[in-house]
Amino acid sequence: MPSLADATVQALSLLILGDRDLWEIIGISFRVSVTAIAIAIPPALLTAFFLAHLEFPGRRVLISLFNTLLSLPAVVIGLVVYLLLSRQGPLGDWRLLFTQTAMVVAQVLLAFPILVAMSHAAFQAADQRAWETARTLGIASARAFVMVVGEVRFGLLAAALAGFGRIIAEVGASMMVGGNILHYTRNIPTAIALETSMGNFAQGIALGIVLLVIAFALNLSLQYFQGRGRLSL
Amino acid sequence: MNVTVATAATTAATNATTARVEIRFSAIDKFFHRRHLLDDLSLSLQGGRALLLSGENGAGKTTLLRILAGLEKPHHCMVDFTPAERHSKPRPWVQCRRRLQREVMYLHQLPYMFDGSVSHNLALALPRAMPRAQRAEKIRQALQWAQLEAFQNARAKTLSGGEKQRVSLARAWLRQARILLLDEPIANMDGESQARTVKLLHRLKNARAALFISSHNSDAFRHLIDHRLALENGKLRPGQCPR
Repeated sequence: MPSLADATVQALSLLILGDRDLWEIIGISFRVSVTAIAIAIPPALLTAFFLAHLEFPGRRVLISLFNTLLSLPAVVIGLVVYLLLSRQGPLGDWRLLFTQTAMVVAQVLLAFPILVAMSHAAFQAADQRAWETARTLGIASARAFVMVVGEVRFGLLAAALAGFGRIIAEVGASMMVGGNILHYTRNIPTAIALETSMGNFAQGIALGIVLLVIAFALNLSLQYFQGRGRLSL
Repeated sequence: MNVTVATAATTAATNATTARVEIRFSAIDKFFHRRHLLDDLSLSLQGGRALLLSGENGAGKTTLLRILAGLEKPHHCMVDFTPAERHSKPRPWVQCRRRLQREVMYLHQLPYMFDGSVSHNLALALPRAMPRAQRAEKIRQALQWAQLEAFQNARAKTLSGGEKQRVSLARAWLRQARILLLDEPIANMDGESQARTVKLLHRLKNARAALFISSHNSDAFRHLIDHRLALENGKLRPGQCPR
């Protein structure tokens, strides 16, 4: 078993020399997670906007539900999607289990509550006058919505980054519904789990470094946008 | 209680082709924490007329204005957009909400400025389909109208309260708003800003806009308003014409 220092040096050389398998795994991770967050954002924004601006029976229950779903373990989402997509499941005929599409579905479900909860907070912090002013200027609801989104864009961007941060690093759901198939559904977290179990620490550490860099970049962006998003009258 | 601003003789309207608008609200009821905030009010707004609403803090002035603008739901209210017509029929507020939002312009006490320049904020009041050159010319005219030329490219959120109020009125002018509801439009302004704001309101009134102003400072509007109303214990009391 190599020392941590040796494994780290090997990991850096794998990254710098452009190990093909390693960069393919990174590519799959980004393709799946970017697709998932792009799919989740529009309905999440609309849901958050309605929760923030409309009064209807059950609104508070829904908000509590989304806040509760924030702490739902990824494996539970994985289990639900697995049961839905498995041969015996209601969507088994679609034959999506152990595909990147299944991983996207699971990650959409994982990201959705985070996006809704954080976007809801951003919309609630937004000045109600923005919506009312837009409407009283005779602007149609759809465009007024886009204008309000523009006013709280930094808060919404922070929500998107937080959602992306969660799904790119989750292992449970991807492992269950993706199957960790090399060159197809193996992404960064599932690869780390596998390589570590096989004793290939260099590749695991290399992928860990990539995740760490992603997490750092996301947090740095989050700090920047949250600072920019301070309300001004 | 039914208070109507009577039709006046022809004003010095700048736009003689504009039809005189009238909206009649009746049976306005609003409860707030079991308190009967607005109690069976009736009110008529007419183009070219200015109405001043006074009342103590918490009397329900802002709530009344927001109901008239279609922004806050009353417990009961009937709206008649064409009361002068033979076949006019009052309709429930809920059915008229969108039309009210479209046709009645509510100006907040602290006008909201969208992120961007003053010109950008003015452009929001213009139809999107308007050709770019025409749009630029309209914005130039609005800046001149509100004496905001110097602020054309300034970030609207950084303007003073008085300047924001003028941007807000310029948006109303660009939109050719025929019914304007103004919530404390000169609150927290210095004398000069107040005078400029009132001057712009005079111009809008002369262009046949109906003005409904909520303010504690009736003196500043003494040359503008035609009728004065007071909201007390949920009821509207007519006041004396200030002139």
